[in-house]
Amino acid sequence: MKDKIKIFLDTDLLEKYLLGSTTDLETLQVERYIAMYPEVRKTYNELQENLEEFAKSYSLKSPEGLKDRILSTIKAQNSTKRKFMNYAIAASFVAMLFAGASYFFYSQNLNLQEENSVVTNQIKLLEEDMKERLEDVRNQFIVLNNPQTKKYTVMGNKKAKDLKAVAYVNPVKKLSYINVQNLPDLEDGQCFQMWAEVNGKMINLGIIKEAGDKNNLLAMPYAENAVGYITIENVGENEAPTVDNIVANIAY
Amino acid sequence: MSALLENHIVELLQERNEKAISLLYENYSDTLYGVAFKVVKDEELAQDVLQESFVKIWKKADSYDPTKAKLFTWLFRITRNTAIDKLRSGKTKSDKEIQMDVSDVYKVGIDGVNPDFIDMRENLSKLDSKYQIVLEALFFEGMTQQEASEELDIPLGTIKSRLKIGLREMRKIYIDPAILLFILTLIASYYER
Repeated sequence: MKDKIKIFLDTDLLEKYLLGSTTDLETLQVERYIAMYPEVRKTYNELQENLEEFAKSYSLKSPEGLKDRILSTIKAQNSTKRKFMNYAIAASFVAMLFAGASYFFYSQNLNLQEENSVVTNQIKLLEEDMKERLEDVRNQFIVLNNPQTKKYTVMGNKKAKDLKAVAYVNPVKKLSYINVQNLPDLEDGQCFQMWAEVNGKMINLGIIKEAGDKNNLLAMPYAENAVGYITIENVGENEAPTVDNIVANIAY
Repeated sequence: MSALLENHIVELLQERNEKAISLLYENYSDTLYGVAFKVVKDEELAQDVLQESFVKIWKKADSYDPTKAKLFTWLFRITRNTAIDKLRSGKTKSDKEIQMDVSDVYKVGIDGVNPDFIDMRENLSKLDSKYQIVLEALFFEGMTQQEASEELDIPLGTIKSRLKIGLREMRKIYIDPAILLFILTLIASYYER
């Protein structure tokens, strides 16, 4: 223990610490020794007293007016500090305002982005829908305008005498359409549904709505020797056609 | 410096009372100015150093820990380091200018010596000059022991021992006359018996 203290005192760490030129690590070490060992503490205190005496021996009368200059500098610094505080308060207020505005614009931006994507999607859907319709209309035009198109008049059987439809079939372009012109009244919960038998398979072509469909041509899948059917079905039960309820068939 | 006054100044400093600076100036400015002048060897620079040091003292008042250093030690460290920094930055700016100033500065320095401290300086001259040179190099020139060893052409071990002995010698020289008188009276009374 004694040796440790002696070795420490033999280094110049304590003197360096006295002058304030130790590194952070050395400072910690010296302060630990001063705190732990009375002998080191005593030496340090002696060094401090010696330093004061030594420094005093170099005293010079400080120049006139220097005191006032120093005091006014410090006073000025304090007031600029106060001024700085005011600015700091103002700045933090502005910063808060800015943060608020930023958040507002940020959330607004998010909303707009969301709306934008919705609108874009809608436009895309509309475009696709329009293309589909345009294609359909073009096909209709081809079918109706083509001299090779055959026109079949479809009449309902006794279950639906008033049913009237016209089918257009073009074997060259492999397109077929049907135009349902009149549908008899049905009981509630029933509907007319179109089917097509293509290569032995029944394909659901959908429900024929009573109104609005009169001027529309309904596309049918084309196949050679295909047969189209119109049946009466219960609403919601239309996975497969009910053979007993066939009201019209269109062979093309 | 009485411990009471020292405590009072420290309290004022920590309360951020500007009166502390006034009291510090009254009690320490001559010594600190002397230290600054000894380092920079220029009256104007020394004044700047003192001013900067006091501003630092005021700003760093919160960081002063009386358990770690006496008030003077703390003041000395700030002033010395400020002066050394000043000297280094000045030297890099214009070495010549400072050297030119030195010639008329010495006169001012000696004229400016406070008569109260004349005897102190005489005392110091009693301190063997070989110790004094080492102490001055380390305390005022801002040299490390290694640098002092190279500059003064003295082995590092000798620098270390001269620093220690120098500081110890100083204790002997500056021993309070009252205590000396007391010791002498004791010795005298011992012989009287």
